[in-house]
Amino acid sequence: MKSEYLSEYDNIVRTMQLYIDGCKQGKSELMRPAFHPNASFFGYAGEQLAIGTQFLFDWIDKNGPAPNIEPRIVSVDILDSIAVVRLEVAEWSGKLAGSGVRMSDLFTLLKTPGGWKIIQKAFHWHAAEQRLAA
Amino acid sequence: MPERNTPQKTLESWKQIAAYLDRSERTVRRWEATEGLPVHRHEHERQDTVFAYRHEIEAWSRLRTASPNPSSVDGADTDNLPAPTPIVNKYLVEHDAITRTMHRYIAGARAGDSDLMRSAFHPSATISGYCLGVEYTGSVEHVFQWIDENGPAPNINPRFARIEIIESIAVVHLEVQHWSGKLAGANARASDVFTLLKRNGEWKITHKLFHWHDQ
Repeated sequence: MKSEYLSEYDNIVRTMQLYIDGCKQGKSELMRPAFHPNASFFGYAGEQLAIGTQFLFDWIDKNGPAPNIEPRIVSVDILDSIAVVRLEVAEWSGKLAGSGVRMSDLFTLLKTPGGWKIIQKAFHWHAAEQRLAA
Repeated sequence: MPERNTPQKTLESWKQIAAYLDRSERTVRRWEATEGLPVHRHEHERQDTVFAYRHEIEAWSRLRTASPNPSSVDGADTDNLPAPTPIVNKYLVEHDAITRTMHRYIAGARAGDSDLMRSAFHPSATISGYCLGVEYTGSVEHVFQWIDENGPAPNINPRFARIEIIESIAVVHLEVQHWSGKLAGANARASDVFTLLKRNGEWKITHKLFHWHDQ
């Protein structure tokens, strides 16, 4: 029998996997169930401040498949009904992403009656720095 | 009252802290609220008393940025401290900027005055979490309303359980014990996870996620 911690951990990772699947296939519909209806999204895409999950979903659909991304879960911290997940994604590719770029994500999740849902994704897009440095 | 060169290592009241910095009590209280002046609290049954370590106050003075504070309300009691030493450690600059932002939130929570914490938040910030089985999600305005209705919570003494910085984003886990007030009840505990975004060189809270521990 799994401990309560392990079962919460695995449920969180399953939610994250929906996000990762959506990224890989370039289909926002795959990741939408992972997000809370009131989820928010924040970060800089180059100079532009990107706000709102609709921006994210549109971006994923327009970017298209990114089959070679290398996602790694860096940390999962669970505090009763809330959790923080840090995800590092290397080798981002696609129509908008370009190739071989890196994204650092901080997800906060809320445990709802319908399971663990992403309530916010904050991202840092390392490509912007590389471009600025070049 | 101790002079600036007193050998005493701690300052035991707002009066002593103010005298040490040669400013009014009002100014040093505001510095705690808005600029992270390191003030500690002894926890007592009824109301906490404050104290500060001289070496921390000295370090804060050195690190404090030279940028003028546009919200200064003290008039003649200007904010001019001895010229700060330029900070060279990039990590410390970001870490201290984040704790300064968080101290605005803490000061507002302690005073029950949302005006003290508004500048810590991004205009589009949101909040979510459960309180007594009821889900709260929505605009940060809900936080401000709650703080104002709750009123002062003088005994909270939050701890930074985690500060993680990734270039332009950060996550802060704050543990707050001894919450009190009209809405909080007495001696409640909250675990808060804040996400912050660095915008034009300033860190702003974009999301507050909370877990309110059942008593």
